[in-house]
Amino acid sequence: MPRRHSRADDRLDPNLTPLLDVVLQLITFFMMLVHFGSRIEGAEASIRLPIAPAALPSGDLVLERLVVAVNADGDLVVGGHARSGAAAATWWNEQAGIRRKELKLAAAPGQELATQVILRGDRDAPYGTIRQTLKTAQAAGFVHFSLVVEREERP
Amino acid sequence: MTARRVPLRSRPVETIPFPVTPMLDMAFQLLAFFILTFQPPTRETRIDLDLPATAAALPSGEASETSVVPSTDVDILETDLTIHAHSQPNGDLRSLRLGGVDVPSVAVLEDRLRKYRALLENRPLRIQVIPDARLHYGEAARVLGACSAAGATSIRLPEPSNP
Repeated sequence: MPRRHSRADDRLDPNLTPLLDVVLQLITFFMMLVHFGSRIEGAEASIRLPIAPAALPSGDLVLERLVVAVNADGDLVVGGHARSGAAAATWWNEQAGIRRKELKLAAAPGQELATQVILRGDRDAPYGTIRQTLKTAQAAGFVHFSLVVEREERP
Repeated sequence: MTARRVPLRSRPVETIPFPVTPMLDMAFQLLAFFILTFQPPTRETRIDLDLPATAAALPSGEASETSVVPSTDVDILETDLTIHAHSQPNGDLRSLRLGGVDVPSVAVLEDRLRKYRALLENRPLRIQVIPDARLHYGEAARVLGACSAAGATSIRLPEPSNP
């Protein structure tokens, strides 16, 4: 007559070591890539960024920032809406007014704002329209600008 | 006299349990954190510009037109440079001028600026870039990027010249 085993002897112990190895490798992978690069917000599919041999920026972006885009026609694109000419100037003045009100700054239009304007310009836009956008923003009180470009790959 | 051999008593094999489960829990939590905060590598970067509204902050015209003269005397080297980028009618880059000297390409411009930056040592290098208004922004950005990559302390954008 066969001898009966007790149920306790049949307990299966899963081998967790290989699983732990894989998990630790994944953690290492993600840890190494976590500071590799950071995407700047406000990407728009219709904007093709210029490719330039730019250096990595020395400092981080400030918290107070305003992201705008300029399409190939030279129009200011914010929130999917294109503005040009007087409409763009009005929008810049509104944004400056909102920030002055938040900071309780004096209503003097010439007072400089600490907000960093991040501009995503299309590579086919005429430079004059980009400069005009910057000039309009300057007139509203913005002085800190960042142009977003794609780093040129080098051998 | 012979030593009496005492038979060794066999000990039961002791297994020390290693608790893997808490370690695995922690590892999964770390993994979840890194997966959730992971951003794919990107080639996006930015060129920072300070564009004060006051024209007084810009370098003077005379100094900015000074050509880059190789010299070993750091003190006489000009720290304010001007780059003109002229466009063709279709918006492509036609020519580059660094001070009063023609530069054949953006790569050469970057190389010259790097060498000049090295000559200046710790002194600041301020560059005005004046592209034509109809030049494609992609070309103008390459010039600005070359200044940034060469280590310019500040990059200024005066009003564009008329083509």
